[in-house]
Amino acid sequence: MPAALATIADPAVRAAFREWLLRVADDELTIGHRHSEWTGVGPDIESDVAMSSIAQEELGHARLFYEQVAGDQPGGPDLLAFGRPPAEFRNAVLLEQPNHGWEFSIVRLALYETFEGQRLGLLARCGQEPVAAIAATLGREERYHGLFAATWLERMARPSADARARVQAALDAAWPYALGFFETTEADPILINAGLLHESAERQRDAWEAAVRPLLEGCGLAIPAAAPALGGRRGVHTPDLAQMHAEMTEVWGSDPEARW
Amino acid sequence: MANAPVPQEDPEQLARFNARISAGDQLEAGEWMPQQYRFEAQRLIQMHANSEIMGALPEREWIPRAPTLARKMALTAKVQDEVGHGMLLYRVAETLGRPREEMYAELVEGRARFHNVFHYPAETWADVAIIQVFVDGAAMQTQGALRSCSYAPYSRVLKRICYEEDFHIQLGLDVWRALAEGTPAQRAMLQDALNRWWTPIIHFFGMPDKVSPHTEAMLAWRLKVKSNEELRQQFLRRFVPIILEYGLAVPDPGLRWVEAEQRYVYTEPDWEELKRVGRNGGPKSAERLALRQSFYRQHAWIREALGHRIAAAA
Amino acid sequence: MSSPAIPAGSWVRALEAPADVWAVFLQARRRDAHVYVGDVHAPDAEMALLLAKENYARRDPCVSLWVVPARDIRATAEDAAEMFVPATDKSYRFGGSYRQQQRVYRGGYHTAPTEDDR
Repeated sequence: MPAALATIADPAVRAAFREWLLRVADDELTIGHRHSEWTGVGPDIESDVAMSSIAQEELGHARLFYEQVAGDQPGGPDLLAFGRPPAEFRNAVLLEQPNHGWEFSIVRLALYETFEGQRLGLLARCGQEPVAAIAATLGREERYHGLFAATWLERMARPSADARARVQAALDAAWPYALGFFETTEADPILINAGLLHESAERQRDAWEAAVRPLLEGCGLAIPAAAPALGGRRGVHTPDLAQMHAEMTEVWGSDPEARW
Repeated sequence: MANAPVPQEDPEQLARFNARISAGDQLEAGEWMPQQYRFEAQRLIQMHANSEIMGALPEREWIPRAPTLARKMALTAKVQDEVGHGMLLYRVAETLGRPREEMYAELVEGRARFHNVFHYPAETWADVAIIQVFVDGAAMQTQGALRSCSYAPYSRVLKRICYEEDFHIQLGLDVWRALAEGTPAQRAMLQDALNRWWTPIIHFFGMPDKVSPHTEAMLAWRLKVKSNEELRQQFLRRFVPIILEYGLAVPDPGLRWVEAEQRYVYTEPDWEELKRVGRNGGPKSAERLALRQSFYRQHAWIREALGHRIAAAA
Repeated sequence: MSSPAIPAGSWVRALEAPADVWAVFLQARRRDAHVYVGDVHAPDAEMALLLAKENYARRDPCVSLWVVPARDIRATAEDAAEMFVPATDKSYRFGGSYRQQQRVYRGGYHTAPTEDDR
C-alpha cells in the first residue's frame, strides 16, 4: 500500500483521500498537457520558453501525486496517467479544454493557479505525510505561475477596448468551468469529518473568488454571472478529454508493456 | 576578396580589419566591420536562428504523444531549449543591424531559409530519438567548430548552445537505447526512422566546398571554420559507431571506412534535393510555414497590445 | 529619461539596442556579484524579470536578477581599450612584485568565470 494511504485505517477515508490525490494529479496532468502544447508556438519567444517551464512543472507535480497514489504498484505513476480511461479522470473540465488562444490559456492559468495555491495550502494541513510536506514545497513553483498569469493578463487586457473584449470573452468562456474546481463528491464530507480537509467547498470557492476578483477587475474585466459547468470531479468529461487522452496514450498504448 | 557589387571600403581600414581577424582576434557588437562581413555574418546567424525556431516544429508534434511522464517532460524541455536558442541567436543577429521582428516576419512569410533537416516529417516516436541523436549531433559539429568564429557574440552563444546540446544528445541516446534494446516493433520503428532521416542528415553539411572567392572569404574571416566535408566526416566518425554498436543497419549500403584515407566513403546523395529543400520546397516546408503564419496572425493583436506598452514607456 | 547625446568620436558609446531589449544580470548565490548573462525582449521591466527567470535561470543557480534597458548602457569605445593596458611598471600595486602584476594581467586571478569553465 502506498505510504500516503497506509496510515489511514478507515477504508472509506482512505478511498476519499485517494480520490483527492487523483483530482490533484489529474488536474496537473491535463493542464500540464495543454500548457505543453504552447511549446514552439507562443506569442513571443521568451514567453514561449517560460510557459514551457510552467508546463514541465505541472507535469512534474502530476507525477509526484501519481506516485503518492501508486506507491509500489507495478506500472507506477505512468500506469495511472496513461492506463485509465477518461471516465476515471477526476480533473476539472476547464483543464482538459484546448488552448483557445493565448488569452484563454492565460485566463485559465490565472484562475487555476489561484485555486491550486489555495488547495496546496489545504493539502499542507492534511496531516498525512509525505503528501503534506510535498504540498508545502510546491507552493514556490506555483507562485511563479501565478505571477506569470497576472503579469500577462494585465498587459493583454488593459491597452485597448478591443484587447479587453478579447480577454473578457475568454473569461466568459472559462468562468463556468472554473467553478467546476469546487465540485464535490461523496469524498468531500468524508475528508472533512476525518479532519483531513479543513475547508468546505463553499468556503474554498468564496476564498478563491475573493482572490481572483481584484486581479480581474483591476484589469477592467467583469466577473461573469454564470452557473457552474460540472462533471469533472465525477468522471463526466467532454470530447476534449477523449481527444487529449487518445493523443496522450497513442504511443504508450501501442505497447503498454514495452520500455519507452 | 569581396563579391561585386559591394560598397567600397576604405582600403586601410579593411586591411587592418583583415589583419585583426587573421591574427585570431574577435569582434564585438558595435565595432567597425566591412559591409560584406556584416552581411555574411548576419545571414549566417539569422539562418541558424530560423533553424532553431523551425526545428521546434517536428519535435513538438510528439510532446502530446510522449509515452511516459518522464519522456513528456524531457521532450518539452528539449524543444524549449531549441526555442531558447532561437531567442539567443536572433539577438546576436540583431546586433548586426536587423530588428528581430523583421527577421521573424521574413521567416514566417517564407522568404528566409532554414536548415534542410527541418523540412522533413517526424513520422513516429522513433523519429524523436533520431532527431535528438543524429540531427542534433550533426548540428553540434558545425556549432562546435564555429565557437572559434570571429564574431564574439555568436561565439559566446554557441558555447552555451553546445553545452545544452550535450544534454539533448544524452537524453536522445536514452530514448535510442530504449528502442534499440526493446521489442522487435520498437527496433523496426527505430531502423525505419534512421533510414528516412539518413539522406537529409548527410545533406545537412552541404555539398563538398567548391574553391570560390566566397568560400575563401568566409574562411579568411572565420565565419566558416571547417569545410563541409570535414564536418560531415567528423559526424560520421562519431555517430556511425553508435548505429553499429546497437546492431542497426547504416542506411547507406555504400558507406564504409577507408583505413588508408582515414575517412568514410559514402554514396553521393542527390544534391538537387538539397537545393529544392533549401528553397523551401521540402516535404513539410509549406505546412510548417503555414503553421507559423497561422500563429503569427493569431498573435498579431497581442504584439500590438504589448507594443503599446513599449510606446508608452519611451 | 534618456541620456544626453554622445558626441561623435567620443570614447563613450551607447550599446545600440531596440527599445524592447533588456540586459539581464544574474546573481548565482547570495555572496556573488550580479553577472551579465544576455538579453530578453520584453515590453517592460517586470515582464523582463519574469521572462529572464526561465530564459536564463532554468539550469543555472540564481537568487536574484537585475534588468536594465540595453540602450541605457554606456560603454567604452573600441579604441579606448588601449587605455586599460599598463604602459609602465605598476608593481607598487602588487606588493612590489612585477611578476605578480604580469600574472594578474595575463588573467591569473580575478578573471570572471566563463562558459568554458563549466
